[in-house]
Amino acid sequence: MTLNPQYEDIGKGFVQQYYALFDNPANRNTVATFYSETDSFMTFEGHQIQGATKILQKIQSLTFQKITRAITTVDSQPTFDGGVLINVLGRLQCDDDPPHAYSQVFVLKQGGGSFYVAHDVFRLNIHNSA
Amino acid sequence: MTTTNIDYDYLLKFLVLGDSGVGKTCLLYQYTDGRFHTQFISTVGIDFREKRLVYNSRGRRHRIHLQIWDTAGQERFRSLTTAFYRDAMGFLLIFDLTSEKSFLEITNWLEQLRMHAYSEDPDVVLCGNKCDLLQLRVVSREQVSALAERYRLPYIETSACTGANVQQAVELLVGRVMERIENAMCNRELSLLMTQSRCLPNLVFGPELVRLGEPGASHDVSESTRRNCNC
Repeated sequence: MTLNPQYEDIGKGFVQQYYALFDNPANRNTVATFYSETDSFMTFEGHQIQGATKILQKIQSLTFQKITRAITTVDSQPTFDGGVLINVLGRLQCDDDPPHAYSQVFVLKQGGGSFYVAHDVFRLNIHNSA
Repeated sequence: MTTTNIDYDYLLKFLVLGDSGVGKTCLLYQYTDGRFHTQFISTVGIDFREKRLVYNSRGRRHRIHLQIWDTAGQERFRSLTTAFYRDAMGFLLIFDLTSEKSFLEITNWLEQLRMHAYSEDPDVVLCGNKCDLLQLRVVSREQVSALAERYRLPYIETSACTGANVQQAVELLVGRVMERIENAMCNRELSLLMTQSRCLPNLVFGPELVRLGEPGASHDVSESTRRNCNC
């Protein structure tokens, strides 16, 4: 496969679609369909998970309802296997909690005529010193 | 971090810990009557409130500046950095009497706390919150007593909603911490005496607290607390 020239649009489009589902508690579970049953990895706050089923369990274990999100930047790169690497920087607010900065990296890969999330790394940007 | 007037004898830093939804923030709000400003430090995810109080002990009147640190929701992500635990002298460990899960998580919190706190055996007050919701209560007094006994924790039932026992819970912790500090001061005075008589190397005891206004005591509180870091 070759580089996908649409990587920028794919990155932005994916992020928008993904968070629209994730941030609404009624639709959150459907983000599991973005992941492969075997070929997806998620690292959520250092906790490593493989496969759509376990990823869904993780998502369902989150205790907040609504997320209000402000995306600062979405940086994308094409990968040599036709996929897209995406780095998101933003802030999120769970229900009435104070807002937190976070970063999330996705790697999209092509499979079965569409993209799936092969890698997903999420962290809140909180530090050991002020 | 704060630049308040230093017209107190002791600066105490407490942490509130417990699952999300147990009422940590409400309890703090209730304790500070909602009157005191809250400060949010987004880089470390800390929300803290301050209150002044007077503690009487051994015939002396101590003016205390109490800082209570709260999480800013990152516990939902299971993400607390070591900065949060740093320099904390006492802990309010809270669960919800109407949530069995929050009660079962107490042992995990204690583990976390022992790992990150300044000592393996820090001062902790266990609070069963939402005691006003009698109909919804699922955690029995016997269950809590067994746990509290096992870990030797003082236990108190609170209601952040009605305010019941909230002040008592905080003051119970203040008493515990102050007692430890006073004992440490005695030890330190003893150690100083022994150092002077060349019996002991210059050891430091307990939480590195500075009694302000005392000869030889440092007036830079932040500096003294930083030295206390053992994370």
